[in-house]
Amino acid sequence: MSADAAQTDLGISGPDPRRELRTRAQAVIVPLVSVLIAFAIGGILIWLQGVNPLVAYKVLFTAALGNEQGLTRVMEKSTPLILTGLAVVVGLRAGLFNIGAQGQLLVAAIGAAWAGYAFQLPAIIHLPFALVFGMLCGAAWASIAGVLRAYRSVSEVITTIMLNAIAIALVDYLASEPLKEADQPLTRTPAIQSTAALPDLGIIPMGFVIALAVAILLGWFLSRTTGGFRFNTVGLNPNAARYAGISVRGTIVLAMAVSGALAGLGGAIETVGITGRFEPAFNAGLGFDGITIALLARANPIATIPAAILVGILRTGAASLQFETGIQPEVVDVILALTLLMVAAPIVGRLLFRNRALKATRVTSGWGS
Amino acid sequence: MHRKILVAGLGATALFLAACGGGSSTSTASSAAPAASSAAAAASPAAPAAPTDDSNCADPTVICVGLVTDTGKVDDKSFNQSAWEGAQAGAAAINGFSKYIETTDPKDYAANIQQFVDKGYDTVVTVGFLMGEATAAAAKANPNVNFIGVDQFNAVDAATQPNLTGLVFPEDQAGYAAGYLAGLTTKTGKIGAVLGTDTVPPVKRFGEGYQAGAKAANPNVEVTLVYHAPDNAFNDPEWGAAEAQKQLAQGADIIFGAGGNTGNGALIEIAKAKGAGDTVFCIGVDTDQYNTVPQAQKCLLTSAMKLLAEGTSDLVGMAANGSFPAGNYVGKAALADYHDTASKVPADVQQKVKDIIAGLTDGSVTTGVQ
Repeated sequence: MSADAAQTDLGISGPDPRRELRTRAQAVIVPLVSVLIAFAIGGILIWLQGVNPLVAYKVLFTAALGNEQGLTRVMEKSTPLILTGLAVVVGLRAGLFNIGAQGQLLVAAIGAAWAGYAFQLPAIIHLPFALVFGMLCGAAWASIAGVLRAYRSVSEVITTIMLNAIAIALVDYLASEPLKEADQPLTRTPAIQSTAALPDLGIIPMGFVIALAVAILLGWFLSRTTGGFRFNTVGLNPNAARYAGISVRGTIVLAMAVSGALAGLGGAIETVGITGRFEPAFNAGLGFDGITIALLARANPIATIPAAILVGILRTGAASLQFETGIQPEVVDVILALTLLMVAAPIVGRLLFRNRALKATRVTSGWGS
Repeated sequence: MHRKILVAGLGATALFLAACGGGSSTSTASSAAPAASSAAAAASPAAPAAPTDDSNCADPTVICVGLVTDTGKVDDKSFNQSAWEGAQAGAAAINGFSKYIETTDPKDYAANIQQFVDKGYDTVVTVGFLMGEATAAAAKANPNVNFIGVDQFNAVDAATQPNLTGLVFPEDQAGYAAGYLAGLTTKTGKIGAVLGTDTVPPVKRFGEGYQAGAKAANPNVEVTLVYHAPDNAFNDPEWGAAEAQKQLAQGADIIFGAGGNTGNGALIEIAKAKGAGDTVFCIGVDTDQYNTVPQAQKCLLTSAMKLLAEGTSDLVGMAANGSFPAGNYVGKAALADYHDTASKVPADVQQKVKDIIAGLTDGSVTTGVQ
């Protein structure tokens, strides 16, 4: 890898401003064009089912964006997706592919539920306590994989996948035995105290505001601080990082812990902001969506915001799509899958920019290294 | 380096596709259902003003019936499908219109119910135990809409909530009848059951009824019940198949599969076993699974049925004519036809099972299950 390329990948302003511009343009244009193509293909699928795609898309977007309830739900659905997306982004920057956001989110969601119902505290302490406790649960869970990777060179891809399965069984056990709400048959914890509940700011869920703030904070951290520089350097070249005096092991463990804390914040906000208790079925799939979003955002923290909102809009509008037109709600998952396919396997980049297409180095440099 | 990147990207993509492939693959298969519903409505004999869409649902003379599925499809060959068939039949009988929404995220229960309420629907059917709270909340907020909670025990007092009914079933009776048949039919003296989670009471009642029925028929029969862990309890066919195989290896010759796709996995596995339909049999659940899981036809002795469609259809009719039974409404249990395995069940056994079902229905036989 040439020095020039390395600099560009690190996000340091390179010597060639045109190259810099092209990099930025591609980072925006490629996902946008991918989304448009995916919508076009999705439109064909809708048309094949006998519905005018323009009508269908109008229904979908009106349901999600055309009224206050829809907007609130879009924000509610986007919140955990932004955070799990950020969790995966942090990992990717440090050369780690965290597939375990789902497990981290689950242990945090039940941790926050416990912190939320088992204590009597004033709201000013209780709510932050529940959120932070959830984050710590997520961080601790991810750190298992971080330590194994740093000190025993066990691939975090494998361990995080396995920890997902363990987390699912663990939270099921906790919610059906020690933390189960008494005198009712469902597998779930008691409801959190009102002092731990996350308030709404009018139609804007507070969790969404927190997620936005965290995304911006993380963007600043990764591009403007020495800590972020360490993460990026370890991700790009662990040997160079070691020569430069960076503790590679420490950075790996820290990056996994931060990643787990972000996924955990997503789970904790779900508990204290949406569901009000822990119930296993209510948190399905959010962590895996984080992988999608991180790849769509090309490991850029700020870009996770529009990526997550797009997913939130599609998921919110899907039910109305079926209600109004009879189209199966899963069509939105087809659209998302197509988008990701074109972004991840650099089809659109190649098409638009030929041999000047950016290699998606930063997104996937951790894989198998 | 570059190749590695490409592989990683594709790997991640494959992962994503795998995660959501299950749902999308059915996207075209069931799209004809809404058309079928309007056809059913149009075909009803009372020709005047059979609505073909829901644009006039707010009109009090136009009866509209909406159904919200639990996280699953309306063609799931189980609860959602039976309830939808019942809703369609019920709506057709009163010359009304019917339509469904499939839930993809449990957090959308309330929003999906609200779609129907906003459009002026008269009756909303919600399917499955997990939707109980969302249904009760919607009933409270919308006193002018009747809510039918299929397979939801309604804890709210009928007097305070006259627009909400839980359609419940005597699962223990259905299980008891199936167990009684199995107890009389087994040659090895060992029978088994592969079940969804025992944290869902109806599933537990199926299992315990099955055990009680088998013991009543033959006190020496050995019954093995195995329940799935609560998470993903109804959508784990691989686990169901593995457990069925285990029980077969331990000598069970009749196995009851109850728990959505998990139970179906067990049935399909048994149909592949040596001696299926000859010395080894399976028993289905909820609906006549001879029709819903054709791969299991070879071993299927019968199915322990909840007459879900009938119960839903009855309630839709009662909601329309003003005799809505608030509180809980107990539907009927039954055993399905023997179909291909009829010759394997001696006439005297068939008669005994018939007598037991009659006894259960009139209350002279009790299952002893709480």
